[in-house]
Amino acid sequence: MTLAPPEAAAPARARVPRRRTPAIRRHRWFVPLAFVAPALVVQGVFLFLPLINTFVLAFTDASTVGGGTFTGLDNISRLASDGAFWAAVGRTFVYMAVTVPVITVVSVSVAILVNTSVRGAGIVRPILFSPMVMPMAVVAVVFQYVLSSQGLANQILQGLRITAEPVPFLNDSDLALFSLMAVTIWKGCALYTLILLAALQNVSRDLDEAAQLDGASWPRRTFSVTLPQIRGTTTLVSILAAIATLRVFTEPFVITGGGPGKATETIVLYLYQRGISPGTDAGYASAVSLVLFVFVLAVSGISWLISRRNRI
Amino acid sequence: MSSASTVDPGKPSPHTAPPRPRPRPQPSGRDRISTKEKLIRWALMLVAVLIVLGPLLWQLSNALKGAAESTVGFPGTLIPRDPTFDNFITAFTAIPLPRYLLNSALIATMGVTANVVLATLTGYALARISFRGRGVYITVLLATAVLPFEVILVSTLLVTRGVGLQDTLLGVVLPQAVSIVSIFVMRQAFLNIPDELEEAATVDGAGPFRLFANVMLPSVRGSLAVVAVLGFLDSWDHFIWPLVILSDPDKYPVNVGVQYLSGTFSADQRVISAAALVVMVPPLLVYFFMQKQVFKGLAEGALKG
Repeated sequence: MTLAPPEAAAPARARVPRRRTPAIRRHRWFVPLAFVAPALVVQGVFLFLPLINTFVLAFTDASTVGGGTFTGLDNISRLASDGAFWAAVGRTFVYMAVTVPVITVVSVSVAILVNTSVRGAGIVRPILFSPMVMPMAVVAVVFQYVLSSQGLANQILQGLRITAEPVPFLNDSDLALFSLMAVTIWKGCALYTLILLAALQNVSRDLDEAAQLDGASWPRRTFSVTLPQIRGTTTLVSILAAIATLRVFTEPFVITGGGPGKATETIVLYLYQRGISPGTDAGYASAVSLVLFVFVLAVSGISWLISRRNRI
Repeated sequence: MSSASTVDPGKPSPHTAPPRPRPRPQPSGRDRISTKEKLIRWALMLVAVLIVLGPLLWQLSNALKGAAESTVGFPGTLIPRDPTFDNFITAFTAIPLPRYLLNSALIATMGVTANVVLATLTGYALARISFRGRGVYITVLLATAVLPFEVILVSTLLVTRGVGLQDTLLGVVLPQAVSIVSIFVMRQAFLNIPDELEEAATVDGAGPFRLFANVMLPSVRGSLAVVAVLGFLDSWDHFIWPLVILSDPDKYPVNVGVQYLSGTFSADQRVISAAALVVMVPPLLVYFFMQKQVFKGLAEGALKG
């Protein structure tokens, strides 16, 4: 259910069955060109060229301020023994291992919670979805204060007498990464809950009503009737969340700057620091980019395998 | 409600539901929900709403507090004793928030325009015009949809600098002007137009461009709105690219600007809080007034992504 609409992959010259696709017209040569060229030019310069360039740069010692010669596999071999890089990779995967299950469970639970005609749910839903339109950078600024030593989180903990001293959410090198995860989860759940709610509303009510007549309780109906019917969407949400965690940048950049020490340095933050600022090592950063791309492709590949298996 | 006396507490089946004390005309689903379930759902929904709104309300509370009032001390000080708009005024006068808002508005306007125009033209061609390489192009578009922007970040910086657009708002807009999700939303919209409409127009003597502008385009207005709304929200959220390509703080959009100030201006949390809230207003307004478009766009985007 995820990727391509099936007819999209058919080559242009193949005779497309009429009933699926509307009559596709042939025109003089300049007509399609006029429609496709504008986007193609922009993509050529700002998508295809940088993409090819990334593959080229990864094998050079180019700098963002100019120059660069071909150095073969030098970047790759340096990367392989770059402890700071692999530490960032490890952190990013820890990030994924924690946030993906939490986001999935919370989003499914909240979607089930608000998928009801109970009065008030109609007002609650748009509020719960609203973080998805808030810019991540601004959310991060807000949580920088919320999680500070005198922030809301510590005020609540101390107000309820759970802790006596402020918890160093952002200053403790063991805790900081998990504090950032909380921000990712807070914002991420909004979109994923929305996607899951849409799936829930497409679920047929008949089965649920039948189970209800049989006397099945609400939890029982949820686990045995409802959840199996949105399994595909739940998987999709986990995959989307996993890809999103590979790209985490804004939270550590804004909230901790990668610190304390390097405790919250993720792959993309490392890429930024090596290639953009303060580093200018475009070649090496491109090699990092390629490894990031491999990780994203691996996750996408898993998603493709799962969706194919579900279809059969 | 207490008359329900079944094995499953408070879940009378719809067929044997006893007469209600106050029968109200309601959608049939609502009648079956037991008081217990309602209470549980209300309690859990309240918790969820508090988790979402809590940080924002705390920000609002801080932003409304004067310099003399402490931001610490929960929950006693949550409601400002002496609410003031001074921090908002400071945000608009002492820090360049208006400048940032203007930059963001310009970027969003250019970005939405480019996004809508390019996605409409390409989506139309991919839906209704036959040309060599069409299938290949669709495959390439779908393949690049999995490419995260961060992977080509460094190269895009070099290319954008190469074409002389570094530190310009156009340089912020162009690399993200083509949205693959938008192209497919528009393609789907054009696919849904019945053939008869096109045939009628062609019989009437409309050429390909007249056909597109006068017949096809008016039929996809709904999808155009979806693409525009989604493009605006995207543009308002973009962070890493403007951060990388802009070096002149006078050109920063709101996101980059507010985080930049929170680093340099950390002395006054109240002012930054006020600015952060102001920045969230435009996307929230769009969201609350255009919910239908937002949901449709995000749902299609998620399924394509």
